[in-house]
Amino acid sequence: MSTYQIYRNTTLGVTLQDTLDEMISQGSLTEQAAGKVLSEFDRAINVALEKRTNKKCNFQGKLSTYRFCDNVWTLVLKEFTVKDPSNSSNSPPLHVDKVKIVACDGKATPT
Amino acid sequence: MSLPSATPQSVRSVNSQQQDTQSSNQDIKQSAVATVASPFTPTTSSTTTTLMGPPSVAGSARQPYTTYNPQTPYIALTPVTPRTSEVSHLQPSLQNIVSTVNLGCKLDLKRIALQARNAEYNPKRFAAVIMRIRNPRTTALIFGSGKMVCTGAKSEEDSLQAARRYARVIQKLGFPAKFRDFKIQNMVGSVDVKFPIRLEALVLRHHQFCSYEPELFPGLIYRMIQPKIVLLIFVSGKVVLTGAKVRREIHDAFERIYPILKGFRK
Repeated sequence: MSTYQIYRNTTLGVTLQDTLDEMISQGSLTEQAAGKVLSEFDRAINVALEKRTNKKCNFQGKLSTYRFCDNVWTLVLKEFTVKDPSNSSNSPPLHVDKVKIVACDGKATPT
Repeated sequence: MSLPSATPQSVRSVNSQQQDTQSSNQDIKQSAVATVASPFTPTTSSTTTTLMGPPSVAGSARQPYTTYNPQTPYIALTPVTPRTSEVSHLQPSLQNIVSTVNLGCKLDLKRIALQARNAEYNPKRFAAVIMRIRNPRTTALIFGSGKMVCTGAKSEEDSLQAARRYARVIQKLGFPAKFRDFKIQNMVGSVDVKFPIRLEALVLRHHQFCSYEPELFPGLIYRMIQPKIVLLIFVSGKVVLTGAKVRREIHDAFERIYPILKGFRK
């Protein structure tokens, strides 16, 4: 079963890859084994994000451009703000000028 | 076999007889009230009320197609003159224009979808790239054959300008796009006559042009022959006119339907 590899770019994924690279360079891990670990990471994070998270947040922005190709939505939002409803009101909402969102189909498995 | 069919017929005849006696007993006003209260009364009673109810002026204005229109109604039409001036300030506004153009070259839709902004391409669903621009706010369907459909413009100039802009986008992506055979295929207008309309009576009088199936669609579909325009007429008095190739046809169709609608005012 193949899963999305997009989460390798998250902080968690990047640090995992750094660690694996370090271990490979030390000779304590083969590249093959590191690849297995990474694919397990892909699987686990996909399952975890789908089943084990229920936190919601609101964001809004003005849609600048969009694209839908190969079942992937690419959205560029301007004047982007994230509001965390669970957060206390004293912290201001996160504001960015421009954000790119890449969204894949959560139900379909990529080929 | 014959017995069950015979019984409802007899019942029906008894009913109609009762209605006839009722309507003959009542004066005009009362029967008119009765039809307003129940709009789905049988055909016989509603036709009689339409004949009796509205004044002769409205009755003549209702039928611009019939050949016996001239002399007598003309005299009756004189008080109508303020109404015709009312027509002039009430004009359908264009809501949508669909145009096509041939870009004259084969297009790689996947490349367009990947490189252009505001493009959607889902070949499983639909074999064209769907692209939008903000000014004029329109949507284009771009096909691999090089043909393009531009929708959503509110005026002829906007439709042409939008189609040109899409062609320019395609050109900028490196395709040798031309701009051939631009044609407006359809125009849609809408207007609110600001009074409710008795659709049941209208369909009875103009049955050769009308189809009214309230269970399927709440509007009456009126297929005008000259100009060849289809009108969707709603009880609320809102009218949608479609099927025009030029703006004039929309206006002509409305000028023809407006006196008819006045005759069927609720």
